[in-house]
Formats: sequence, C-alpha cells, structure tokens
Amino acid sequence: MPIKKEVCSTGIEELDMKMSGGYPLGSTVLVTGCSGSGKTTMCMQFLFNGARKGERGVFFTITEPLFKLTKNLEGFAFYDKKLIESGMVNIIDLRIISERLGLDTEKYTVEDAGALLDILKDIADELDVKRLVMDSITALCYRLQTREMIRDFIFKLGTSLAVMKCTTLLTSEVPPQTFKFSQYEIEEFISDGILFLGDVERKGDLIRTLQIIKMRGTAHSRTKFALNISAQRGIELIPLLKSTEFESLLKR
Amino acid sequence: MVDAVIEGIRERVSAAIQVNQSVGIQVPENRHGDLLEAVFNSMCRNTHDIWTFVTVSKTFDYLAKTFKESTRHPNIKFIDCISRAAGMSDNSSNCIFLESPVMLENLILEITNNFKGQNRDMDKYIVIDSLSALMIYNDPEIIREFISLVMNRSRAENIHVVSILVEEEMDSNKLIQLNDKIIVLRDSFID
Repeated sequence: MPIKKEVCSTGIEELDMKMSGGYPLGSTVLVTGCSGSGKTTMCMQFLFNGARKGERGVFFTITEPLFKLTKNLEGFAFYDKKLIESGMVNIIDLRIISERLGLDTEKYTVEDAGALLDILKDIADELDVKRLVMDSITALCYRLQTREMIRDFIFKLGTSLAVMKCTTLLTSEVPPQTFKFSQYEIEEFISDGILFLGDVERKGDLIRTLQIIKMRGTAHSRTKFALNISAQRGIELIPLLKSTEFESLLKR
Repeated sequence: MVDAVIEGIRERVSAAIQVNQSVGIQVPENRHGDLLEAVFNSMCRNTHDIWTFVTVSKTFDYLAKTFKESTRHPNIKFIDCISRAAGMSDNSSNCIFLESPVMLENLILEITNNFKGQNRDMDKYIVIDSLSALMIYNDPEIIREFISLVMNRSRAENIHVVSILVEEEMDSNKLIQLNDKIIVLRDSFID
C-alpha cells in the first residue's frame, strides 16, 4: 500500500489537484513572478483558506504597508476580517520588527541576519503557525550583503520551520517577460518548490500564467495554466490553450 | 409569416439539440437576427433548464433592450465578451462581462462556474453567438482548440452546446464540423 504523504492545501482547488493534494507539509516554496502576476493574492488565499481549516498562519510584509495590504484584500471573497481579529491570520510588518530590534534598515550584518532569523522562528513558534509567508524574499535578500548570507538565511529559515511542520511561501520578484526565478539566483536552489507566475501576450492582451517548475517529493504537473483572479473566487487555474505558446514564440 | 419562420427555426434547433450533444448553426448575416429571436424564444419556453448565453456579436445591453424579460430570467445567464473591450459600461447581475474576447481561458472558466452547483437533473445548454465573431478577435487555430475543449468538457458534464456561425464572417467552415449536428439556414428556407 503506497504511503500517503502529508500535504498542506494550497487554497486553490485546481492547484491541489495538480500536485497530489497540495504542498508537501513543511516545505519551502518560492512563488516567483513579476509585479502584478498575483503572488501576494496567491499567498493570502493560502493563508485565509488554511485558517478556515484551523491552520494558523502569518504573513510577513516587507514591501507594502499593512493598511494598503488589507485594503487590497477587502474586495476578495476569501478575505475574512474575523480571521485576522481572532489571530488565525497574522499580518506583520517586518520593517517595524527590524526597527524595534534596532537593526539597520538598509543592510544587515551576519549578526543582524541571525537576530532576525531568531525573531521569525520565535514568532512562528509562539503563534504556533502552520503556514508562513514572506513577501518578499527579494526585498529581504537585498538587505543581506552576500550570496552566502542569503543561502544561509533561507536554508536556516526553511529548516527550522520544517521541524515545526510549517509550510512556507517566499515570494520572489523578477522582471516581466523573463524566465528567471529569482533576483539573486540562489533562492530557487534552497527552495523545495517553485511556482512560476508569468504572462503571455495574446493579441496585445496579457494573460496571467502559472507553472509548477519544481516541487520536491511530489508527482506534479508541468503544464502551463492560465491564471484568473476574481473577487468572488480568488485565483483560479485552467490549462492555457496551446496555440498561445506558438503566437508568443513568434513574437520573441 | 415572420413569426411562423422564427417558430420553424426554433422547432428545428430544439429538435436537433434534444438528440445531439452539440449543434452548429450556419446562418447568413441578414437572418442572424431571426435566429437569435428563435433561440431566445426557445430559452424563454424552457426556463426550467439552465442556459448560458455567450455573446460576442451583440453587446448584452443590446440584447437586454431587444429581448427584455428573457435577459432577466435567473436560469439564463449571459457572458458578454465584447462590451468591456469596447469601453462600454457594464453592470448587470445576470451577466458576466469578460475583459476581452481573446481571454478564452477566462471564458471557459466563467462557463464552467455558471453550471457549478446546479441541479444535475436539469438540462443544461450553452449558446455561443458566435464562433465566427470570436474569429474576428482570435486566430482560427486557437478557436478550434477552444471549441474542442468546450465540447469535450460539455460532453463530460452532459451539457448541450449550440454554436452559431455567421456565413459572411467565416474564413473556414472547419469549426462547424466539430459539432455532432450541423444546421445550415438559408435565405430560401426563411423567405
């Protein structure tokens, strides 16, 4: 009898179906894409739908102020203010934490990075979260001064959260129309999985896409999906019509 | 005479769709309006069924003004593919307005979502008006892929598909060949 692996639902029905039920429990997944590709919405849907199942989550923001973030969320049906008020979904501004710790806001030393890592683990532990989002790892890596520090930080963060069976999503910002997974080209090697959010042009209109590039420990689809974001249903996926690829290639 | 003709078309379409999963109707442009009237007439008589009407050739606003109460029935939902692309205002509880007629995947999602959670025992229909208008905005290859996908999904869910092609807008008649049954309406049949 095959051993059933423990998974953490992505919050998107179609995506769960494409990777044997969800993210492998405790994995670190890079959600990579350009601006406006749906990274933050995808992570929020992951947290709110998880909270509905009783799994507490935390969202660390570095790039967007809290009031803007929650205002953008209000239009979505998956958003529920009560889940924030009850502490099932926690949204924390990492810049405020850095300031309170007395860390340099521009560049972190090795000690700074260590202190930040400890506080992140402590918060995750104290809140007993099973889902964690860092939005974005790119902005955090910008403050880490060497490739070794970036590698070390992500590895240690992922490992300590995996012990807690906490599934982590790290958003990664890349320029539009590029097939690149991260700014510093280290993040993807440390991560257990990569979801690539891109777009294709069809007759001048941009169609959002999603592709599972890697997901360690699962048999997953490698099909490119069209991604739709709607207020009622959040993120939805459907296989991208194949003729689009041909048109896109001709344009390059 | 006109009423009798429309009734004749309606009966022909109704009979065909009852025994076939998908029906393609080829119509000359000058009789497109009559065909639409026959289809709306059919939807209004069968409001116990679930209908999704995809409009690419006329805006929902135009359909609402022309066919009035049938566009307000809760069992008849509309998907308007052209109003937003044309910069027209869009607001109706009975209609979903797509951003663009080239976003065919979104169209499939909206069609699918329209039937989700509906009573399985009810008959379900999709009307696409028209495949030839979709070809104005999209390449033929992608429309063939789209309609093939819609038909395969519909077969799996036991949903009937009626697709309209306006003769004058057609580059090729390959699209209509995907249907189980083809009805070719001619001026001579109508006049």
